[in-house]
Amino acid sequence: MNRTVLAVGALIALAVIGILFLGLGKNPNQIESPLLGRVAPSFALREVGTGKTIGLEQFRGKPVVLNFWATWCGPCYEEHPVLVANARNLGSSVQFVGVVFQDTEEKIQRFLNDRGSSYPTVIDEAGKTAIAYGIGGVPETFFLDSTGKIVGKHDGPLTTDDLRANLAKAMGQ
Amino acid sequence: MNATLGRTIILASLLVSTAGAIIAFAAGRTRSREGLKWAQRFAYAFAFLMIAATAVMEYALLTHDFSVGYVAQVGSRTVPVWVTIVSLWSSLEGSILFWGLILGIYIGIATWFTRNDYHEYMPDAIGVWLASAAFFSFLIAGPANPFLSVANPPLDGPGPNPLLQNHYLMAIHPPFLYLGYVGMTIPFGMACAALIKGRLGHGFLKPLRESLMLPWIFLTISIMLGGWWAYEVLGWGGYWAWDPVENASLLPWLTGTAALHSMVVLERRGILKGWTITLIQATFLLVILGTFMTRSGVFNSVHSFTQSSIGPTILGFLAAALVFTIALLATRIDLLESEGRLEGGVTREGMFLFNNLLFVLLTFTVLIGTVFPLVVEAINGKQMSVGRPYFDRMVVPVGAALLFLIGIGPALPWGRATRAQIRRALLPPIGGAILVSGIGFALGVRNPWTLLTLAFGGYAAQVTLTEMWLPLVQRLKRGDSFGEALVDANLGRGRRRFASYVVHAAAIVVIVAIAVSSTMRSDVELQMTRGQATTVAGYTVTLLGVEERAEPHRMSTVAKFTVAKNGAQRAVLEPRMNQYMAMREPIGSPDVYTTAGGDLYLSLMNVDIARQSVGVHVINTPMVVWIWISVIMMGIGGLAALIPHRRTAVTNYTPVVEPATPRYVKPEEVTAS
Repeated sequence: MNRTVLAVGALIALAVIGILFLGLGKNPNQIESPLLGRVAPSFALREVGTGKTIGLEQFRGKPVVLNFWATWCGPCYEEHPVLVANARNLGSSVQFVGVVFQDTEEKIQRFLNDRGSSYPTVIDEAGKTAIAYGIGGVPETFFLDSTGKIVGKHDGPLTTDDLRANLAKAMGQ
Repeated sequence: MNATLGRTIILASLLVSTAGAIIAFAAGRTRSREGLKWAQRFAYAFAFLMIAATAVMEYALLTHDFSVGYVAQVGSRTVPVWVTIVSLWSSLEGSILFWGLILGIYIGIATWFTRNDYHEYMPDAIGVWLASAAFFSFLIAGPANPFLSVANPPLDGPGPNPLLQNHYLMAIHPPFLYLGYVGMTIPFGMACAALIKGRLGHGFLKPLRESLMLPWIFLTISIMLGGWWAYEVLGWGGYWAWDPVENASLLPWLTGTAALHSMVVLERRGILKGWTITLIQATFLLVILGTFMTRSGVFNSVHSFTQSSIGPTILGFLAAALVFTIALLATRIDLLESEGRLEGGVTREGMFLFNNLLFVLLTFTVLIGTVFPLVVEAINGKQMSVGRPYFDRMVVPVGAALLFLIGIGPALPWGRATRAQIRRALLPPIGGAILVSGIGFALGVRNPWTLLTLAFGGYAAQVTLTEMWLPLVQRLKRGDSFGEALVDANLGRGRRRFASYVVHAAAIVVIVAIAVSSTMRSDVELQMTRGQATTVAGYTVTLLGVEERAEPHRMSTVAKFTVAKNGAQRAVLEPRMNQYMAMREPIGSPDVYTTAGGDLYLSLMNVDIARQSVGVHVINTPMVVWIWISVIMMGIGGLAALIPHRRTAVTNYTPVVEPATPRYVKPEEVTAS
């Protein structure tokens, strides 16, 4: 029995297995947005279709669902019906806003005509708003409470369950 | 139908590998020849079953049988046939099946080649192989089963991970990696067998070396292919990012390379047995660690196999393999008697030992950098990453030291040498060092590390080239004809020696190319509109226009550029953005104009088709292509060393190389022959 080999080997084995075991079940791709708990960056962007300017401040007083998307994004097609239906059901108690970036107005208009819409969509032409929100890919959705503070964020296509869970936070429940 | 058939075959392979492992270990204990025969039959049966299971899966993929779970997950009627074929390794379950296939083939071939020899060791070696096979059969049968039945098969599937479809290198890189990774099971089994028997005879070194060399070649090339793919696809202009999964492939390569060197000393001197065995075992354990890294979802990486449930299972296997290995090492390593004495100081074997130490140091450095974020998160819950600065600072000096060793190691004689001998060996190559670093300086290299690398590279190159052709020169001096001498010294009997210097020469070029390309690159980010031209690093780059192209499985936005130098057009480059339906963001595909001196690399950052304007990242990197070429040369050198030569052709041989120190021969071999 070589005690040195045993001791060194056991030490290395314990360290490696222990560290990896602690890492199990964590998702390193899920990086918490540093914007959580802060007031959402303001913007004033042109609404697709009407051409009027929409600013975030005008929705103070009710929760806001801010959905970043684009027509070139596959998963956005998937979640679009979920957003449209929920926005319709919730009526005026919650404000939904779609923010589209890296896209053209004509394509967005076609998308909305084909697939329906029930809330305003704005176009972020310079991509500055997407940068301010730290968008890593689309779709990403932010949930704001009535004071304009970001209380939740969802990466990837939304389901009605995701939406409800995050809205509950935004409504202070 | 396919699903049921696949599941049945996998269950059979689980049964065969488990039973085979038990029989093999029993045969090892009882030294039963009949038992060994049966173990061999079970090994062949496992190989056959794995080939059959893979054939069923490929058939299901090609016929779009969406009632098979894996096909429903990665299959698609719209993707090209080659994508369908390589879908086998595009996702977790299929990749584990692919692992099983490669393991089956390796076990089958290794059993065949050793079927009549090494009776002392083979039962235990086959036992270890089949035990590993049983684990992977279990994974395929249970936690990562690709043959699950789909109750209501969809009409079409989503297709494999878009990154896999994006570049043909993705069809080659994974198979090479698997051939490298999985193949390490074979030398591991042999090393364990030697420990179980408490003996590592000289006769067993040949299969041990060859079974390590082959996967080492594949691993070497696969690491390069991975870097090449990153360079061609990811668009940031680099080939190595110290991504945890890149590190996962590098770690076993480091220990494997050390093991190959250690074995040279073992063959010659009968020493470093413990070192060699431990390094081989560490290589396999690091392979399993790497598999855990890529498959558990614990590490953040481009190789994002989605969160899977097999992490804990692989961790369990790693823990079991570690305990088994450490127990074996602790109880048996002292039985492996050294048959010689290590001459300390400035000797060739001393340099080999130093080489081992440096490789082990490098392994720990990379390992610690890779797992450190997990430690930090476990302690204070903060997410962090260990980036380039750590790895560069730690790895560059060790890399330079290794390059230095490639130079002085082979220059030194075996055994004790006099001061005069050492001086005669080590002084002349300084000429090469001055020459190469001088050329570098004249071409504008100012970074001290790069200059040092060039100096060490020049030194090592002179030694390597001298040693490479020395036997030829000696034979010519002796009066042999050139053809005879060339065949004998470099292609025939001396081939292994010659080939290892080819590998060294290629390694020198790789290290120099890495140093030069990473410190001498220049880049510029530009916003260009159609018709606009700009000059970068002597090239005139003109944007011809931007267009959209639709393919069944993706939409592409392509920018067309011409590249001209001194008024003559050299290339048309088409960097593009590919948008796949299943992806949340477009994948850039840069385009590269490659010359022997360097690469001009264009990568799109943003595109506005309506205005015909693009943001483009133009990167000029010297020497990149030499990395790919030289690594392929390393592989070819390795293969040349592996192919056996006909001993019978040489008679009446008198050693002409290093006559002072005859090859190490074990005493009983001498008396036996």
